[in-house]
Amino acid sequence: MFPAPSFGLPPSRRDLLARTGYGVGAIGLAAVLGSNTRAAEPAARPLAARKPHFPAKAKRIIHLWMNGGPSQVDTFDPKPALEKFAGQRPESTAKLTTERTTRGLLPSPFKFTPHGKSGLEISELFPHVARHADKLCVVRSMHTNVPVHEASNWMMFTGNVQPVRPAYGSWLLYGLGSENENLPGFVVLGEGQPVNGPSNWSSRFLPGIYQGCQVVLPVNYQPRDVLANLQNAQLAPASQRRQLDFTQQLNALHRDRIGADNALDARIESLELAFRMQASAADAFDIGREPEKVRDMYGLTGPDADTSAKTNGGFSRATFARNCLLARRLAERGVRVVQIYCGNLQPWDTHDKNAEGHRQLARVVDRPIAALLADLDQRGLLDDTLVVWGGEFGRTPTTEGGSGRDHNHYGFSMWLAGGGVKGGLAYGATDEFGFQAVEKRVHVHDLHATMLHLMGLDHEKLTFRYSGRDHRLTDVHGTVVKDIIA
Amino acid sequence: MPPKGKLPDAVVADFEAWVKMGAPDPRDGKAGTTGTGIDLDAGRKFWAFRPPRRHAPPAVKDAAWPRTDIDRFVLAELEKRGLKPVAPAAKQDWIRRATFDLTGLPPTPEQVEAFEKDTTPEADKTVVDRLLASPHYGERWGRYWLDLARYTDDLGGTVGPVAAPNAWRYRDWVVKAFNADMPYDRFVRLQLAGDLIPDPATDYSERLGGLGYQGLGQRFSGNAVGMVKKKAADELDDRVDTVTRSLLGLTVSCARCHDHKFDPIPQADYYSLAAAYNGATLSTEVVLDSPQNVAAAEQWRKDVADRKARIDKLTQAEARRIGREELARVDAYLLAAFRLRVLAERKAEADPEAVARDDRLRPVFLARWVKLLAAGKPLPLLPDWQTAATAALKVAGKDGAIEPTKELLGETAKVKERVAAALREFDAGKKLSAESDTLLKVFLTNDGSYFRLTTLEVVPLLAPPLRKEYDGLAAELAKLNQTPPPPQPKGSAVTGGGQPMRVHVRGNAEVLGDPAPPGFPRVLTKTGAPRPDTFTRLDLANAIASRDNPLTARVWVNRVWMYHFGRGLVGTPGNFGALGEKPTHPELLDTLAVRFVENGWSTKWLHREIVLSAAYRLGGAADPANAAKDADNRYLWRASPRRLDFEAWRDAMLAVAGRLDPQVGGPPFLDLAGQKQLQPEDPANRRRTLYGFISRFKPNPTLTLFDFPEPNVTSDGRTVTTIPQQQLFALNSPFVVAAAKAFAARVEKAGADDGARLRLAWRLAYGRPPTDRESTLARDFLRAAATDAGDGLRPWEQLCHALLTANEFAFLP
Repeated sequence: MFPAPSFGLPPSRRDLLARTGYGVGAIGLAAVLGSNTRAAEPAARPLAARKPHFPAKAKRIIHLWMNGGPSQVDTFDPKPALEKFAGQRPESTAKLTTERTTRGLLPSPFKFTPHGKSGLEISELFPHVARHADKLCVVRSMHTNVPVHEASNWMMFTGNVQPVRPAYGSWLLYGLGSENENLPGFVVLGEGQPVNGPSNWSSRFLPGIYQGCQVVLPVNYQPRDVLANLQNAQLAPASQRRQLDFTQQLNALHRDRIGADNALDARIESLELAFRMQASAADAFDIGREPEKVRDMYGLTGPDADTSAKTNGGFSRATFARNCLLARRLAERGVRVVQIYCGNLQPWDTHDKNAEGHRQLARVVDRPIAALLADLDQRGLLDDTLVVWGGEFGRTPTTEGGSGRDHNHYGFSMWLAGGGVKGGLAYGATDEFGFQAVEKRVHVHDLHATMLHLMGLDHEKLTFRYSGRDHRLTDVHGTVVKDIIA
Repeated sequence: MPPKGKLPDAVVADFEAWVKMGAPDPRDGKAGTTGTGIDLDAGRKFWAFRPPRRHAPPAVKDAAWPRTDIDRFVLAELEKRGLKPVAPAAKQDWIRRATFDLTGLPPTPEQVEAFEKDTTPEADKTVVDRLLASPHYGERWGRYWLDLARYTDDLGGTVGPVAAPNAWRYRDWVVKAFNADMPYDRFVRLQLAGDLIPDPATDYSERLGGLGYQGLGQRFSGNAVGMVKKKAADELDDRVDTVTRSLLGLTVSCARCHDHKFDPIPQADYYSLAAAYNGATLSTEVVLDSPQNVAAAEQWRKDVADRKARIDKLTQAEARRIGREELARVDAYLLAAFRLRVLAERKAEADPEAVARDDRLRPVFLARWVKLLAAGKPLPLLPDWQTAATAALKVAGKDGAIEPTKELLGETAKVKERVAAALREFDAGKKLSAESDTLLKVFLTNDGSYFRLTTLEVVPLLAPPLRKEYDGLAAELAKLNQTPPPPQPKGSAVTGGGQPMRVHVRGNAEVLGDPAPPGFPRVLTKTGAPRPDTFTRLDLANAIASRDNPLTARVWVNRVWMYHFGRGLVGTPGNFGALGEKPTHPELLDTLAVRFVENGWSTKWLHREIVLSAAYRLGGAADPANAAKDADNRYLWRASPRRLDFEAWRDAMLAVAGRLDPQVGGPPFLDLAGQKQLQPEDPANRRRTLYGFISRFKPNPTLTLFDFPEPNVTSDGRTVTTIPQQQLFALNSPFVVAAAKAFAARVEKAGADDGARLRLAWRLAYGRPPTDRESTLARDFLRAAATDAGDGLRPWEQLCHALLTANEFAFLP
């Protein structure tokens, strides 16, 4: 069903082509968000950038998803009490059941030290990230609904424990459009397939074009192959241009016969965008264009390139670092949301040998994440790019089987950086063992509300009419965590 | 006033208990919120809940324009608003529009030509009859229904897809039902409750094949902590939501957690209706056959299993008896086998049969031991004996005696003693020691034990009475195997249900409120109508597929109208409630709904009414005066350009290229070897898009890109978006390029004359000849393209590709 196109003075083809760049679309957010029946959808340029509800602190999000759930007490939430009560199961944690049975408290083998001017405590697993301590806003009081990966992945990315709601990335694209229509506006980078697969970034009842575009690249990829059908295998660019000119001449004659129509014009314009995308998308994904020192910084090349940094499951520094660098290139070009996940299924799911697993994983991700923060910062991009780090939940301070830790939805840590959040801050707190968030608790819905807020959107007003009612990312929940906003 | 500090734990616990009880009002003790402020009688007065009434076609000023009753309703509305219908579409445009609308494919040049030449008054009707009789009609309209039914070929999943290998049978059932013009009331009834209809059927695949409508509903994960009840409730909600939105245009699911905020649906009514599915097996399969045949097949399987079991019992009892007996003589077997081994080593003649006879051994076991010794592999539990045997074999040498050494005799005696000890325990029926247990497993009881006979081995050894019994059973089995029941296809289905529910307080499945009396939403029943004791899926089906239901016919008529015009008479096809749009032509909608039912709920009747109208025939010309008053063309003063959905666009490319595989039905498309699932973008895939594998687990990215509906939920209609990646598919995909090449090859067969080729190309792609201007542009292009010999596409291929890429190919006239 197509909303009946409206008439009005049709723009000339030249006008159309003139406004296909990076400008703000003619259709304001009100058209999408105001009365918001489907008929009010911006049909012509659904990805055109739109004004937010109020001035935004962040224009884009890079979400580094530690799929599987990292352990807060080994990374960003120091708990000296674990030493003291090692092996014991304090009464206060007795009722905190998780997916599997856990027993006594397991102290972290990793040393925490204060970093930066703020003195933010970070474990020795993240020496490189720790150098950016003053940029990090660690939320130590995160919590979510259930200790199950599937449900918690969906909660983290769609705000519901079942796969029935659009991803937050889709909501952002729907609300704000993209700053670069020559690239997909919501990109998911990774290797292998995380649990739940594409349902983590599905647009569900929002139009399909707001779906996350998953890009899984082999080590030796060709930038021209990154998106489906990006290159014409038959025609040289000049010949393709000549062919497209012919097509557009036919389109102009067709338009003359029928009369101006938004739907027809939109497709005429879109053909031109597609033609340009062939070059611009390949360019965006070409890290060969980065100076050597940038690639060195991410640990892709140079003296610190650690090709042996790989987990037992095969999740490698080489891929993760490249994805971080790609994320910066995409952010720089105006892609609204980039998500990066860590390898196949859930590498951070350390039910066994938690310490060894975390050591391997941190060795893979630490340096590239630090490089990403430094790189964004150097370019002045960090100010309006929100970087989000974390799992779908955390891990228990108690042990599963002696060396492992189980899923923990009662309390866990995530950190945010850039994009208008306060740096060098540890917000909220878990109990003395790091099991349950107790102070200034932040549910995933609150995180979503805050993320939308930073992007200039009111989570209670970003709605879509579907199945007889207005839906929101945060459903009937969510409070913006104002205290972490700079 | 809020208390200072935390409440005492005991008080908090009291509050928790109170909330779990459903937060009853302490004054009257009533829990839940089923008592409502909704006035059902007032609600029944809303236009959509009143029965549709037939209206006489209104008078119009321009009596010449209307062709049918529909037109009088449309024109009256136009005249009232000072709008003038634009000129009718050209014949070639009308047949193109009608052919795409009814079959999802373009008309062939021959069909266009025949129609243009046909000047009889029945020319239009002839075309419509032909299109409605085409098997491709059901493919087109079946797909619309599958959007509503959230059709899928897998049931989602988290680490891999959950298979639904028979889903396609439901898809084919839908296509067949449309092609057969199954009355819509029956179509609905079969999909909801085909299995519960009491009277016998002649065709059970028809009777039961529609159950996939709900059987392919959402299946959630959630067999985990705190998720089990929610999962069940969510799956139930999927069924309620799909039934009510797709069939009734009513958003009943809004009342899952609280009374509907806008429509007269109290929360209890949600659970009253949901009872039809409560307790059901929601994602299962049923055999698409009569109960008698299903029972007969079941009996056959039972008989076969019974004969096999009896044969096993008989032979294995005897096998164990013989094995037990012979095991006691293990020493005799070991030594006889050793002697034969020595003879074999010397290449001397030996007759195992004779040895067996002489020693009164069973040849079958002796042969087995001879083979084991010859193989030379380690013998379980016999390492010492084997060492001694190997040494003895050496001593026996070429001309030594064949008699075993003292050591070997000693080891043999030890084996016999161990066996005897184990057998004593065994016979005494005591709990076996670990050692004896192991020994008996290796020697007697496990499959492949030294003294365990297979069925084949034991049959010749059966004593005559047992042998007779065995032969009888074997003959019965052979006879059964000669008459297997015919293969019985299965289909996705929901079975069972009909258990009354209690209200879930605030939609929380863990907190139960008052019982919800089972039944249909009260606003759709007569005032004061008694509530039934039970409400089965059949009751639900009968309440929906009823001429007394004010919504069913209206909703379907509106959908059919929408697929023909791009917009329904009600602009919100899945919401006829207060938040939905009011009909633009209420009297037309009602009249069509009434006449649709009178005409046997025939969807094909409805197509004829619509497609043969002057409203449907309108041209697409823009008109500023009309546009100023009705920019969205809600009142139908012209035909708005409609973009083809992905299926019609892709299928049209195959058709124009002469590559379309017209096969109807079957499993999701495979490659020619029948192995690999082909995706819609694979150039080798020449079947209609309908037959693609629709995945909830991993949606096909091309379908998603082109606005294919999300197959988890019922879809009211396609959104239409325009983004560059869609155009990349048109410009660069191997699928479109392959179609362009085949299209060009077809055009080039028209001869060497460019004019003839251009005419054929345009007639194939657009159903019309090129204009002079287009011909000139095309010739210029061909000349310019000829200068670049390095290109991978020849000029004609480039031209044909451009025709497929252009707007005229993507939009209906």
